[in-house]
Amino acid sequence: MADHSTTADTSLTSALKRIVRSYKVAGFLPVLLTVLLIAFAIFIPNFLVVKNILNVLRSSSYLVIIAAGQMLVLIVGGFDLSQGAVVALTSVASALIMAGLKDTLPGHPDLIILFGVLAGLGCGAIFGLVNGVCVAFLRISPFMVTLGTMSIATGFALLLTSGIPVYGMPKSYVEGFGRGLLLQLPTAFYLAAAVVAVMWVMQNYTRMGRYILAIGGNIQAATVSGVPAKTYLILAYVICSMLASVSGLALTAQIGSGQAVINAQLTLESIAAAVIAGVSIKGGVGRVEMVALGAILLLTLTNAMDLLKIDPRIQAIFLGIIVVLAVALDELSQRRAALV
Amino acid sequence: MVAQMTTVDADNTIQSRASQGARDDLLLDLSNVSKRFPGVVALDGVDFDLRRGEVHVLFGENGAGKSTLINIIAGTFPPDTGTFKYRGKDIAHLTPHGARFMGISPVFQEFSLVPELTVEENLFLGRELTVGGFLNRRAMRARARAIVRELNFDLRPDYKVSQLSRAHQQMVEIAKAFLTDVRLLILDEPTASLTDAEAAKLFDLIGKLKVSGVGIIYVSHRMQEIKQVADRVTVLRDGHKIKTVAARDVSENELVELMTGRKIGVLFPKIVSDPGEKLLEVEHVTLADRSVDDVSFYARAGEITGIAGLVGCGKSEVIRAIVGLEPISSGSIRLHGTEVVSPTPAAMMQRGVCYFPSDRVAEGLALARPVRENASMAALALPGFSRHRILQRRSERRIVQGIVEKLGLRPPNIERAVASFSGGNRQKILLARGLTRDISVFLFDEPTVGVDVGAKVEIYELMKALLATGVAIVLVSSDLPEVLNLSHRLYVMHRSRMAAELTGADINEPAVLSHFFRERQANDTVTHALN
Amino acid sequence: MSDTSIPAVSLVAGPGRVWHRNAMRWGFILLLPLLIVGMELAVSLIEPRVLSLRNVVNVLVQSSYLLLFASAQMVVILTGGFDLSLGMAVSVISVATALVTTGLAAAGAPIWLVVAAGIAVGLGVGLLVGAFNGLFVSWLGINPFVVTLGSLNICYGLATTISGGRPVFNVPDAFSRLLYDGTFVPGIPIPVTLAIVVAIFLYFLLDRTVFGRALYLIGNNPRAANLAGLPSKRYLFLAYVTCSLLAAFGSLMLTARTGSGEPNLGGSLMLESIAAAVIGGVSLQGGVGGIIPAALGSIFVTALSNAMDLLEVGGYVQQILLGCVIIAAIFLDRIRVTGS
Repeated sequence: MADHSTTADTSLTSALKRIVRSYKVAGFLPVLLTVLLIAFAIFIPNFLVVKNILNVLRSSSYLVIIAAGQMLVLIVGGFDLSQGAVVALTSVASALIMAGLKDTLPGHPDLIILFGVLAGLGCGAIFGLVNGVCVAFLRISPFMVTLGTMSIATGFALLLTSGIPVYGMPKSYVEGFGRGLLLQLPTAFYLAAAVVAVMWVMQNYTRMGRYILAIGGNIQAATVSGVPAKTYLILAYVICSMLASVSGLALTAQIGSGQAVINAQLTLESIAAAVIAGVSIKGGVGRVEMVALGAILLLTLTNAMDLLKIDPRIQAIFLGIIVVLAVALDELSQRRAALV
Repeated sequence: MVAQMTTVDADNTIQSRASQGARDDLLLDLSNVSKRFPGVVALDGVDFDLRRGEVHVLFGENGAGKSTLINIIAGTFPPDTGTFKYRGKDIAHLTPHGARFMGISPVFQEFSLVPELTVEENLFLGRELTVGGFLNRRAMRARARAIVRELNFDLRPDYKVSQLSRAHQQMVEIAKAFLTDVRLLILDEPTASLTDAEAAKLFDLIGKLKVSGVGIIYVSHRMQEIKQVADRVTVLRDGHKIKTVAARDVSENELVELMTGRKIGVLFPKIVSDPGEKLLEVEHVTLADRSVDDVSFYARAGEITGIAGLVGCGKSEVIRAIVGLEPISSGSIRLHGTEVVSPTPAAMMQRGVCYFPSDRVAEGLALARPVRENASMAALALPGFSRHRILQRRSERRIVQGIVEKLGLRPPNIERAVASFSGGNRQKILLARGLTRDISVFLFDEPTVGVDVGAKVEIYELMKALLATGVAIVLVSSDLPEVLNLSHRLYVMHRSRMAAELTGADINEPAVLSHFFRERQANDTVTHALN
Repeated sequence: MSDTSIPAVSLVAGPGRVWHRNAMRWGFILLLPLLIVGMELAVSLIEPRVLSLRNVVNVLVQSSYLLLFASAQMVVILTGGFDLSLGMAVSVISVATALVTTGLAAAGAPIWLVVAAGIAVGLGVGLLVGAFNGLFVSWLGINPFVVTLGSLNICYGLATTISGGRPVFNVPDAFSRLLYDGTFVPGIPIPVTLAIVVAIFLYFLLDRTVFGRALYLIGNNPRAANLAGLPSKRYLFLAYVTCSLLAAFGSLMLTARTGSGEPNLGGSLMLESIAAAVIGGVSLQGGVGGIIPAALGSIFVTALSNAMDLLEVGGYVQQILLGCVIIAAIFLDRIRVTGS
C-alpha cells in the first residue's frame, strides 16, 4: 500500500468527494425514485389515483418495517431468512390468542388486543433470541440458523392452523388499526414512520448505532475496543425478528385474519430493499432512511407492474433479477473503489 | 495533554528517579509469567519489569512471545502462572477495559480500527461520551481535535479510516491510546508503516512522555530504532527471556546473536553467485493504484537479487505484479527476453515463475488439507501427477515424499493436515511446491516471517541449493540482516520508487539505510546548493 | 506473519492430542450408520412395519432421489458455496421436460425422439441454470446465497408461468419406464441403480480427478488455489454446472415417477438436500465432504421422514423437526471442525 496522504485536498473538493463516496449507489436512489414516480404518473393510468397511492403507501409500510430489521442483521454481517416465517407465525399466534380470548373477556377488546399483540411480539422475541444465540455463541452460520428457524416457524404456523385462516379478531383492531386512516393516511404508514425515526436516532445518536457498525465492519477491532459484541449481535437478531412481528401484526390487522401463508416473498423483498439501499451483504454499512426509500421503490415498481397487468409470477422473475443485479453493482463498485 | 499526564504521579516520578533500583517503585513488575495455548508454549517463566519514564524495548523474532507478553499486560488474556504487579499492587483478572482504566494503553500492530467509521468514531469506540444516554457528538469532536493537535499528527477526524493511508491509520491507532490518561504505553512495531518524518514526530512524543514519567514498552526488531530510543532491551527467544541489557551497553551484532541464538556467520550460509543471463526484466512498471511507480530491475540466473525497503514501499507489490496479482497500468515485464502480456499466476507458473506469498495462511496453504495436496497443488496438470486429468496418486505420493524429506520436514508425514505443522515447517511445505515443477525464476516474498531459527537455516540452504541449478532468485524481505547477507545484488525501494541498486561491498546497513531516507537527502542537497 | 502472532481476540486452535482427534474422527464416521440402525430399531418397537422388507426397499428407493440432490448440493458446498435454487430448478426442469415430451408425443413423433428430446431438454435447462449461477458466483464474485436466491425466484416464476400453475399430465410411459419402472439389474429398482451409478461416478470425479481435487482446495482456500495456478474460476463455474446437471438428472427421475411435470416438485428439496449433505458430514465451511457422507445423510433423512410417516406424525411437525435436526447437525459440524 502506498504511503500517500489524502489530507492535502481543498475543503470543497474533499467535501464533494466525501458526499459522492459515501452515497455511491444509494445516492441515486432518491433521484431514481422521483424519476420513476413521475414516469409512472404520466404513463400509467390509475397510478396517481388516491386509492392507489394509499395502497402503495400501505404495502410499502409493512415492507419498510421488515426491511429495517433485515438491515440491522445485514449490518452486523449476517442474514435473516426466517423473517417471512416469523411474520406468518406472528399472524397465526396473535389471531389465535385474540380469537380464543373473545369469549373469556367479552367487554374488553383492548385487553384482548393487548394479549394478542404480546403473543405476536413474543414470537418475534423468541425466534430472534434463538437466531442470535446460535450465531453469537454457537457461532453457526446465520444462513443455516435462519434457514432452520424459518422451517421451524413455518411448521408451527401450519401446525397451529392446518393452513386455515384464523378469524375472530376484535373489530376495533381490524377496522381501527388495520384498515383505518389517520389524517387520510393509513395507520401502518405512521407505524413505519415511527420505526424509521427511532432507528434513525439509534443509528446516529446512540452507542448502539456505532457498535452495530463496528461489529459488522471489524468485529475483532470492536471486541478489543471493549464493545460487547455478542450482546449486540443477539440484540440485532432480536430486533430484526421483533420488527418482523410488528409488521406481521399490522398486516394481520389489515387482512382481518391470521394466515399461515402470508406473502412468501417477504424475505426476499426485504433483502432486496436493503441491498438496493446500499446495505452491503458483507456488513458494516447501512442507513435506515435509504432502506425506507428502497422499500418504497420496490413496491412502487411492483404496483406499477400490477397496474400494467404483468403476471405476478413474472414479477417474481424480475425480483430475482433485480436482487442479483443490485448486489453485482454493489460488488463491482466496491472493487473499483479499492483500485482508485 | 502532556500536562494531563503529570497527574498525581508528578512527585512520585521524581522520587522514582532518585531511587532507580528499588523494586517497589517499578511501574510494572512481571515475574515468572508463563502462557500456554493448545499445542504451543508461548511464554515460559518470563520476568519483565518497567520503570517510570523509561523506554524498555522487547526484542525478538516473530513467535518469540513478544505479542503474547504485551497481550497479557494489556489484559487481553491472563497468564497461566506468575505474578503481575502494577504500580506496586498485585493484579489479577485484568480485562482490556480494566487495563485502559488503569492507564495501560496498548497500540497493537494489527490495527483495531473499523474501516467504515470515521477517525473520531474509531477513537471513541467503546468509550463514547454520552449525555443522557445519547451520543455527545460535539464533545467528542472537540476532544478528537484536541488530541490530534497535541500529538501534532496530520489527521482529519471526520475522514473514514478506509480512506486513510497506512501511515495515517497507524497514527489513529496511536491517538487512540491517548484518549485516556496514559501511565504505561505499549507500542507494537509503531514505525512499521510510518515515514521518517512521522517516525521523528513519534520519537519526539516518546521523549515528552518519558519526561512526564510514562513508562513505555516498545516492541521492535529493528536495531536502528533501539539505538535511538531505548533505555533497556529485553531479548525474548522461543518464549524464554534470554537477557535484559542496557541499550548503550550492547552492540547490534550481539542483539542479533541473542535473538537468534546463533552466530551471524552460521545463520547465513555463504552463497557463491554465478551470474548468467537475465531471466527476468521489469521495466518502468507502474501499478494501477500507484503503490509501485516507474520501477525497473532485473534478475539473473545463478544469483540472488534482493529488494529491501520499509513496509509500504511497494517491494511486495512489484513482485506480485509479475505474476498478475496486482493490476499494472504501464511498463513491461520480460521473461527470458520475451515480453509477458496480462500475467496470471497460472500462466506465469507455466512459464517457470513461482511466487511464494508473504502470508502463507491467507494465500499460500490449504490448512485442512494434507501436505501431499498442498505440495502438489501447483503441478496437478503435469505428468507424474495426473494423466488426462485423472490423478496418479501413487506417483504423486512418491514425488512429494521425496521432496519433503529433502526439505527436512518434521515430521515427514505427507498425509497430515498442514494445520498441525509449525510456522517453519509450513513454510517448507509451501516451498516444496516450487520443487514439483520446472521453475527458472523464484520470487520469495518475506520467506522467513514466523519461522524458527532452525528452519530459517534450512531454508537458506535450500536457496543455496536452488541457485546451484542455475535459477534466478528474487528475495523481497523487510528483515535487513537477511536481505543484506543473502543478496548478491540489492535493490532498495522507497515510497513506490526504486531508490538504489547496490552490488558487492556497497551492500551494507548504513548504505541501505541512507537510501531509505534518500528523498529527504536529495532535498537537503538541493537546499544546500541554493545556499 | 499471521500464523504465529496470537490474535488479540480469538485463540488459534493448535494440533491437539492425536489420539483424541482420531477418536473423534472415527466416532463421527460411525455415528450416522449407528444412528440410522438405532433409530430404526427403536421405532420398530412401536411400529414393526418399519423393518419390513417392503419398507426397507421403499426407504432405499426414496433415498436414491435424495442422494442425487444431496450430492448435487455437496459439489457446490465443497467449494464453500450453496445452491438455494436447487428445488425450483428441479420444478422448472420437470415442467419443461413434461411439456416437451407431451408436446412431441401429441405431434406423433417417434418414441425414441420423444424420450431423447425430453432428456435433452431437461439436462439443457439444468445446464442453463448452472451456468447462470456459476457465471455470477465465479466470474463476478457475488455471494452465492444472493445469486442462487435470485435464480430460485427466476426458476419459480418460470415454472409457474410455463405450466400455468398446474401439473402437466400424461408424460409418455416410455419415459417413465426408462427412468422409473422396472429394473436394469434384476431385483434392484431403477432409481437405486441409477443412484449407485451416479455415486460411483461422483466418487471417481471427486477423488481421482484434477477437477475433484481442485474443488476441495478451492473450498479450503480459494486464494491459495488461485495463486498456485489452478484455474479456480473455471472450476468454480463447472461446480455449479455439475450441481445443476445432477439436479436435472434427479428431476428427470422424479418426473418419470410421477408421470407428470410438477411446478411444485422441488418444494422442500432445497432444505432436504442441504440437510442431508450437512447431516452426513459435508462441512459448510467448504473443503470437507464426499459421496459417502452425502449418501449416509440421504438415507438418514429419508429414514427419519419414513419413520415419522409410519408413526403418523403430521407433516407440519416433520418440518419443525427437520429444522431442529439441521441446526443440531450444523452445531456438531462446528464442534468437529474447530475441535473445541
